[in-house]
Amino acid sequence: MKQLGAEPFSSAAAGSPMPPMAPRRGGAQTNPERWVDEHGDCLFRYALVRVRRREVAEDLVQDTLLAAIRSREKFAGQSSERSWLTGILKHKISDHFRKLGREMSFTDLDSLADEFSEKFVPEGYWVHVKGPKEWKPDPDEVLHRAEFWQTMRHCLDKLPERIANVFMLREMDEVESKEICSMLSISESNLWVMLHRARMALRECLEINWFNREK
Amino acid sequence: MEPKVEDSNPRPPDDTSAIQPNGWLGRMLVWIISWATPKCHDVVRILSEQMDHELPLLMRFRLRLHFSVCCWCERYMKQLHYIRETARRLPEHADEAGDPVLSPEARFRLKHVLNRQ
Repeated sequence: MKQLGAEPFSSAAAGSPMPPMAPRRGGAQTNPERWVDEHGDCLFRYALVRVRRREVAEDLVQDTLLAAIRSREKFAGQSSERSWLTGILKHKISDHFRKLGREMSFTDLDSLADEFSEKFVPEGYWVHVKGPKEWKPDPDEVLHRAEFWQTMRHCLDKLPERIANVFMLREMDEVESKEICSMLSISESNLWVMLHRARMALRECLEINWFNREK
Repeated sequence: MEPKVEDSNPRPPDDTSAIQPNGWLGRMLVWIISWATPKCHDVVRILSEQMDHELPLLMRFRLRLHFSVCCWCERYMKQLHYIRETARRLPEHADEAGDPVLSPEARFRLKHVLNRQ
């Protein structure tokens, strides 16, 4: 299991002459077969959340590891090997969607269109008893619970595919909205509508299935 | 919110809005602020847009004012930020996010391809 506390130490020590991460950089340590064993499943799961098809996710993992072999000299060990590989995977995912954006339309204004109308009274205010609740347990403490991440994945899987794609490009890969628009050939106002629906649905799903769920 | 609408839309006990429609003055204040600020249905859309580009100063002020009578929209904003922060951390928690693993065939194929490099 990944140790959360490990990374700040490694980056803080990056400037020192003998960083504690140095032993990870030995020749045998960068054996690509070991990458498959140690990081393969993690990379695959992340890719699968993003593209939803096993064969595409496997290809992305393969492209990532091949790119990692080519650039392993540049890996300075400041970050963990896992986050270095994840960083490459994120680029491969962006490339994948850029290519798809040239082939198909990503605009989806139909899904989730009226799904939340029952949350508001006709005058436009929340139906107060159905409005957002205070989230409990405390959002910060749940980050270390595996079940929380399973719920998150489940909620992302429930989003309509193209809406999920733009949401994850924006929120996970931190791609700017203008960049997403040019990547996927969609207009900025359509992107905002899609992001709004994704956020609303994801918020609702997390609230029902994790925070404030019936215990 | 108009007094009539307020009466038909009761506030649950966990309403933490700073200004409550209690008494004549409270109802008046809630009504004026609701009238002067966007409706919740629009506020949630504007809050989502705020995650992607900066809003004009006046709009940011109107949202603040709206929050004083509507704890639900304020919660919504905080939760959008929370979702952003957690979504960004999903890659590092992908191990915990569930079952799917590489199939043995895919694992074998990957190692084979990597070894040829």
